[in-house]
Amino acid sequence: MSAKKTQPAVAEKPKSYGWMSEYVDEHSLLAASRKVRDSGYTKTDAYTPFPVHGIDEALGIKPTILPFIVLCMGFVGLAAAATMEIWMNAVSYPYIISGKPMLSIPAFIPVIFETTVLFSAFTTFFAMWGLNLLPRFSNPVFTNPRFDRVTNDRFFLHVDSRDKYFNRESVRELLAGTNPESLEEVVEDSTPSKFPTIIWMGLATLLVGSFVPATIIANMRASNDEYPRWHVFFDMDFQPKKKAQSTTTIFADGRTSRPQVPGTVARGQLEEQDPFYLGYDPTKIAGITPANKVLLVSSQDEPKAPSLDAPVEDEAAKPAKETEKANDAKKEEPATTAPAAAPAAAGPNLPWVTDFPVAVSSDMLVLGQKKFEIYCSVCHGVGGDGDGLVHRRAEQLQQGYWLPPTSLHDPRIRGQEVGNIFFTISNGKGKMANYAAVLTPKERWAVVMYIRALQRSRNADIQDVPVDQRAKIEEVKKAD
Amino acid sequence: MTTHKTESDSLKLPDAWQGKAYLLMAVGLGLICVSGLIFFIGYSDARATAFKIFLHSYLANFMYCLSFGIGAMFFVLITFLTRASWNASVRRWAEIISMTIPSMAILFAPILLMVLANNASPLYEWNQAKEDIRETIVQQKVDYLNGPFFTARAVICLLLWTAIVTYYYKQSRREDETGGVDLTLARQKWSGPLVMLFALTVSMAAFDWIMSLDADWFSTIFGVYLFSASMFGFFAFMIVSFLLLQRNGKLKEYVNIEHYHDMAKFLFGFTMFWSYIAFSQLILIWYANIPEETAWFKDRVEGDWAYLTYGSIALHFAIPFLGLMSRHVRRHRTALAFWACWALIAHWLDMTFLVMPNAGPVSMPMILGHVLGGLGMFSIFSAMILVRASGVPLVALRDPRLPEAMSYANPLL
Amino acid sequence: MASITYSNPREIDNTVDVPGRRSTLVTGNQTFSSVTEMVCRVAEAPQPTIWYVLFGFSSLTALMFVSLIGYLILTGVGIWGNMNPVFWAWPIVNFVFWVGIGHAGTLISAILFIFRQNWRTSINRAAEAMTIFAVICAAIYPGIHVGRAWLAFWMFPYPSLNLWMWPQFRSPLLWDVFAVGTYASVSLLFWYMGMVPDIATYRDRSKTPLRRFLYGLLSLGWTGSSRHWLRYEKAYTILAALAAPLVLSVHTVVSFDFAVSQVPGWHTTIFPPYFVAGAIFSGFAMVMTLLVPVRSIYKLENLITLRHLDNMNKIILATGSLVGLAYATEFFIAWYSQNMFESFAFMNRAFGPYWWAYWTMVSCNVISPQLFWFKKCRTSPIIMVIISIFVNIGMWFERFVITVTSLSRDFLPSSWGYYRPTMYDGLMFFGSFGVFLTLFLLFCRFLPVIAISEIKGILSIEAHREAHSHDHH
Repeated sequence: MSAKKTQPAVAEKPKSYGWMSEYVDEHSLLAASRKVRDSGYTKTDAYTPFPVHGIDEALGIKPTILPFIVLCMGFVGLAAAATMEIWMNAVSYPYIISGKPMLSIPAFIPVIFETTVLFSAFTTFFAMWGLNLLPRFSNPVFTNPRFDRVTNDRFFLHVDSRDKYFNRESVRELLAGTNPESLEEVVEDSTPSKFPTIIWMGLATLLVGSFVPATIIANMRASNDEYPRWHVFFDMDFQPKKKAQSTTTIFADGRTSRPQVPGTVARGQLEEQDPFYLGYDPTKIAGITPANKVLLVSSQDEPKAPSLDAPVEDEAAKPAKETEKANDAKKEEPATTAPAAAPAAAGPNLPWVTDFPVAVSSDMLVLGQKKFEIYCSVCHGVGGDGDGLVHRRAEQLQQGYWLPPTSLHDPRIRGQEVGNIFFTISNGKGKMANYAAVLTPKERWAVVMYIRALQRSRNADIQDVPVDQRAKIEEVKKAD
Repeated sequence: MTTHKTESDSLKLPDAWQGKAYLLMAVGLGLICVSGLIFFIGYSDARATAFKIFLHSYLANFMYCLSFGIGAMFFVLITFLTRASWNASVRRWAEIISMTIPSMAILFAPILLMVLANNASPLYEWNQAKEDIRETIVQQKVDYLNGPFFTARAVICLLLWTAIVTYYYKQSRREDETGGVDLTLARQKWSGPLVMLFALTVSMAAFDWIMSLDADWFSTIFGVYLFSASMFGFFAFMIVSFLLLQRNGKLKEYVNIEHYHDMAKFLFGFTMFWSYIAFSQLILIWYANIPEETAWFKDRVEGDWAYLTYGSIALHFAIPFLGLMSRHVRRHRTALAFWACWALIAHWLDMTFLVMPNAGPVSMPMILGHVLGGLGMFSIFSAMILVRASGVPLVALRDPRLPEAMSYANPLL
Repeated sequence: MASITYSNPREIDNTVDVPGRRSTLVTGNQTFSSVTEMVCRVAEAPQPTIWYVLFGFSSLTALMFVSLIGYLILTGVGIWGNMNPVFWAWPIVNFVFWVGIGHAGTLISAILFIFRQNWRTSINRAAEAMTIFAVICAAIYPGIHVGRAWLAFWMFPYPSLNLWMWPQFRSPLLWDVFAVGTYASVSLLFWYMGMVPDIATYRDRSKTPLRRFLYGLLSLGWTGSSRHWLRYEKAYTILAALAAPLVLSVHTVVSFDFAVSQVPGWHTTIFPPYFVAGAIFSGFAMVMTLLVPVRSIYKLENLITLRHLDNMNKIILATGSLVGLAYATEFFIAWYSQNMFESFAFMNRAFGPYWWAYWTMVSCNVISPQLFWFKKCRTSPIIMVIISIFVNIGMWFERFVITVTSLSRDFLPSSWGYYRPTMYDGLMFFGSFGVFLTLFLLFCRFLPVIAISEIKGILSIEAHREAHSHDHH
């Protein structure tokens, strides 16, 4: 063997990689493989058009470690997805969606599952090719033209010359004894291994070209341009509409916002003077105090002015906001006193309505109770003592900056006129929001009525009870 | 002649098992009585609660044992539907398991009688006079959930199943005498429509018998849930029983490692399928967070039931999933015995999880009584199998697909 | 090279097998080389005229689709009929429709593989290809539905220097991004990996250097080495084991898009398995619609035999009936729950303004496959193509019914509306078929439509079994 290699004539020949025999069916291949294995060769391989079962045992091929690699990478995928979701949604960028906790395990499971499968599948695919040392385009086995039929209907058995027991002649004899269709030597691939220039150039051009768009984008992002940008979506950038307080050439005065047309009534305009909707009588306003200035201006403005409904509410909410700000500023102080401390919270002093502008009836009281229990009781409590669920929860959490809701049995509230309470419900006060959006004026009056009833219930004497019910109360008293 | 004798011997139940059926049945009945006694002693001051717990425990254990039969019935049907051959040697045992359904039906009779007498309100809250039902929403359901109609549905279900399993068992036994392919072809022909009927009736049974325990709760997936749980339990039971039979020297030449491997794959597959169904039900209800649906889960994560509920994730999914993942485990008898027993327990816990939280909070007497009741019911169930199997060859020897079943291998997976 | 013997598929009925003796899966006494020849001829011989006609038609349709997408991006989603209250209209219907179709391929190659269903080998490659093309069609719709399609990449969790925020993993729509993304890439790997040995066959038969070079590149230097086959088969098995739960998860996650909400008619727990059954149902119908013509145009009747079609039709029947069972369960529980919104949603489906869609769905999905109880219908190519087209129509309507009826009338009667699609909705849906068909025709033209090496494996096993049974008797 080694002597042969030194001969110059042989050295010119392409290098040999052993012998390859060809068979017409898998059974002869299996028989030949067993024979070769039993002769002690290990650097052997069979080439078949489909996976022949039993060949691993016939050739002595060991099982692959592929499943183990996949299992490990599957766990990596699982951990990666879990970490990613928890970190992104619960740590780095936490925000509440549909009331779910930041760390919502059930909601994280689908993505964890998908990522685990993704990692495992990619590992399976790439590790399989990696372990097979593929892609490999230049392979000595391809030099045999008969080998083209390996992917069609022929079976080949190869004994590599690098096997430590390899002997050219004895291997040839061994394989010849297995009754092969053909028996040929595997030689080195002699075709040039240089990559064709044209493909080289093409790839290089592509590579360079691929930088061009990226460079343009980077340049545009980094520099200023005196030309206006290119409007791809022209009708989105320039919409045919006018914004408030802008000018126009359509009207002589150049205003886009138009004044009220004489002889028309704006929606809600008729309610601006009615105590039923306001809780006070605007015609009886006596003087301007800083607190009621805004209201006064709005109601004393010329009646033809466009609806001021919205601005009134906005402005009325302002003192409340300021109170809030003041409260926020006081957050650090645990023992904050009542919101009444803030001067604005004292509220405007207006000519309040003193009698209900609607008929007092048991229906109204029932309505008032219903609405009170829906909207008011969460803070003020079902009995109006200022001990609603929200308050109790806040106390549980021991939030130092929590302002307890006002007790409706407070002498201050009891002394308020019905119009004043109505005004508070309509416009809010302190932390309390306004309820004009959810309660109609009639419902607000009903709530006021119910509050009055609540207040009376704590300060009633026997005279308030109907004559025929008094005896019952006496009985209960005695029983106690 | 001698070989013939040993062969037919190897197809019989072990001699030691033959006479044990009546003993087991007596023990089982005794244990159930003891479990009732424990409840009544534990709740001596609240007889009604004790009775309620007893009924729930009885139902949970009944469903546990019935589910093996349900799984076996599906296994037999799907075998013929798909013309499968690998399981020809283990199918007879599945047929025997499925034949417990007619006998199990008798054990359901007490519940049915109570329901008919409009007297089962400790179990089914809808089962009382309409005006006594607490919730309006349940009152509105009495057109469907009422004693006579419930009983009618249950009887139809059980009769239909009895008819199916008896037909398949009888045909299989006839084949032992006649051989040939005609009987197989006949069973093949009926398997399609019967699988459809099976799907319909199992859903109905799941809705009626378990879901309506919480009469205001509903979940459309519930039938699939019971199906997946039954299949999981069934394959575990198959593996355990074959391992026991072979340990007693039976069926050595008919059930080989390939069959175990395939049954283990099914066990593994249904571990995943059960988890998939259970998770789907959970996440949809958790996410939408509608009170009338979350109430069911609320019962199950409050108090000590939370241990069972959260524990199920590990016991019924994570641990057996990892345990059965390897091909080597699935081909290893001892390891497989461990995981199949594990699955039997997990399946029992699953049935407990479905039924028992409706009976109230966990207590020591409840656990003790329920476990004993479970053992009792399982003894009765085993006795039913022994009665059915004694004197019957445990392999359908003349099944035309038996040669195929004896000569295949699991090359991959 | 080797001669091919075609046997008349009518003559050998391999749909029946006597218990205990399996009929052959491929007919006509095939040898290894005749199988190679039969499949390679599809790509090597000049394409039949019908291929050019179809390709011309489908590529023009695809071109129309691409131009319409351009128009949509420049103008906005207002060109569609999506309008208050139905904001999820045809785009999501088409998305679910296509994703559903994309389930058959991986189901055939993974789940049937796990169940050792050898008949899958004749149909799996084409079905996998169809899966990938269907998923491509599906992925287009949510992409263009987001409005600003050029920002669709915001859905992926990449570290954004401009936004400094992360996607919302508690949203089922993001689960969809991961599920469909994973499914598309794993299916692609599975498809390509399965094809490598067959591409090597194409390479070794190539007559021109260009073909040899390109197929050589794609086949990665495959030699058929036994060591390679061993790892290859292991990898194939693992991929199948991974793809089986994956294929279930994809339509499950799609069903979550609907079912986690509280919209009546959407929020029901059976949605995950019911959607999966529907997806398999529609996927098999589409495989049927494609393969019956393919096998007759390319003369593959001996490889894709009546038995294969018969089996697929049985699966269509089974899944169709499961879907029917799910419809019934939903209807029943809508009443049983005594939730007036649920009851209304289902009555509205069946008897409301969209009654025509509902009854189209029921008759196509539940009633028409019942014809497959009859063997005549299961083995007649004409009838099965007609039924499978009906099934496709029915499954599209199912998604339409679910999406549109529930949205058009939910809790608040004041916001009810009637949805009407525009011309663009229709043209774009039609156009997506152009994309699908174009890709499929190219696949037939250039890649192996049948898994050659897998069929050879089955041939070898069958020959072995035949020899074995002769030994016995």
